[in-house]
Amino acid sequence: MITFENVTMRYAKGDAPALSDVDVEIGRGDFVFVVGASGSGKSTMMRLIILEQHATQGRVLVAGQDLSRLPHRKVPALRRQVGTVFQDFRLLSGKTVHQNIAYVLQVLGAGRHTIRQLVPETLELVGLEDKGKRLPHELSGGEQQRVAIARAMVNKPPILLADEPTGNLDPDTSQEIVAILDRINRTGTTVVMATHDTTIVNRFRKRVVQLREGVIVRDQDEGEYDAVEEGLA
Amino acid sequence: MRVGFLLGEVWNGLRRNTSMVVAVVLVTMVSLFFLGSGLLAQRQVDTLKGYWYDKVQVSIFLCTPDATDVASCAGGGVTDAQRDQLRSDLERLDGLVEEFWFESNEEAYERFREQFRNSPVLDSIPQEAIPESFRVQLADPTKYEVVASAFEGAPGVESVEDQREVVDKLFSFLNAISLAAVGLAVTMVACAVLLIGTTIRLTAWSRRRETNIMRLVGASAFTIHVPFLVETVLATLVGAALAIGLLWAMIEYGISGFLSDLLAGQTGMIGLIGTRDLWTITPILLGGAILLAVITSWLALRRHVRV
Repeated sequence: MITFENVTMRYAKGDAPALSDVDVEIGRGDFVFVVGASGSGKSTMMRLIILEQHATQGRVLVAGQDLSRLPHRKVPALRRQVGTVFQDFRLLSGKTVHQNIAYVLQVLGAGRHTIRQLVPETLELVGLEDKGKRLPHELSGGEQQRVAIARAMVNKPPILLADEPTGNLDPDTSQEIVAILDRINRTGTTVVMATHDTTIVNRFRKRVVQLREGVIVRDQDEGEYDAVEEGLA
Repeated sequence: MRVGFLLGEVWNGLRRNTSMVVAVVLVTMVSLFFLGSGLLAQRQVDTLKGYWYDKVQVSIFLCTPDATDVASCAGGGVTDAQRDQLRSDLERLDGLVEEFWFESNEEAYERFREQFRNSPVLDSIPQEAIPESFRVQLADPTKYEVVASAFEGAPGVESVEDQREVVDKLFSFLNAISLAAVGLAVTMVACAVLLIGTTIRLTAWSRRRETNIMRLVGASAFTIHVPFLVETVLATLVGAALAIGLLWAMIEYGISGFLSDLLAGQTGMIGLIGTRDLWTITPILLGGAILLAVITSWLALRRHVRV
């Protein structure tokens, strides 16, 4: 579903590469933790997948498309295949939970009927079916992140990227969030989650791709993440 | 994207940005008012030209007995033979001359007395001093030089006068007004372009969260850009409508009302522009407003709203 072939990414000439010769294949329906310290290149991987950035060298393939050759006008179609969730939620503060999620469908041209059907369905998926009328600031951090996940999933993309989704949350709430991602994964969605939370990674026992200074140092099914190694603990 | 949703977005955008939108409306109004004034002044020139050029002729003044200082009049007053020669010459200039007629000394003196009826010089001018003349209506008024050179200096001709020269002074005055108005319009359009650019930059900034989410979920460039575009087009169209309203008031009350009353007693009927001329230039003004909005927005969006 997502393939990195010898990908090197340099933000500026002469800088050390953010990613260096990265080779990774993520299959359809996989759940992958991309782990590493800050600055190890996790976010860069995410940015390359949604084409916020072009790789300096190598090829990135997403859903069968070579991103280095994707014409500019096809970028939106690519992004419709990939849902994204961030550490800082990025909800629209003036809109209710329902409106935040409906907004995605509206900008993608969905009709009222589709919206009436899909929004409650997606809210149920993240367990917020009774919070549709709330504004984001009336919700806890975990609830806000669940709204963000619902927004990312409402148009049913085959891939979900989560960049440090638990970075702002306490350990219990973090587990709830990852449990939701796990549930979404079980319905066939490919999930890639960047994190440096060792507890989460070691608890969920998924494939782990570990980066250090832009280089893959571990790629292991049902892997572990030892933060002591990284000097984080 | 559904129309209802688009209109909602546009409405929100206009509401959140009222002061900038009003600025765009006013700047567009002023620039199109000047542009419209320039175009109307130009139409006034054309109207007057049509009117005057119909009336104005080339006058070939024939020698009076006293005009011996002119070479072609060395023999004193024009003779019958010279007059007949000129007449047949004019008849031969068929393609150039639409028609011509002869104004005798008596007719000319009569007209002179009428024109200067209130002037003290009247009594000091003897009837013989008023030249008889051929009044020539040209088929094409711009071919004056050809006709003039054919008769200038011919025996019995004292002088050839193109009476357009007189009205051309008026036209150049109107043309100057027209140019000044268009010049101001250009300056104001430049202001409008810069202001629209700034407005879009500010709007883009205040809507960066929405735009960012639209990009992430894969909205097309068109979907992201079109609310900005529609807002700008609406604002400039309102400005254009106000400008047209001002121009209408100017014509209706200024020209058709005041000016035409003022001139009525003086020169009789002369051609003035009316509201019909405004309706003729209305598509230009509206089209100009839309073009201004679309081109400027497109440039500003490419710079400030990344997709």
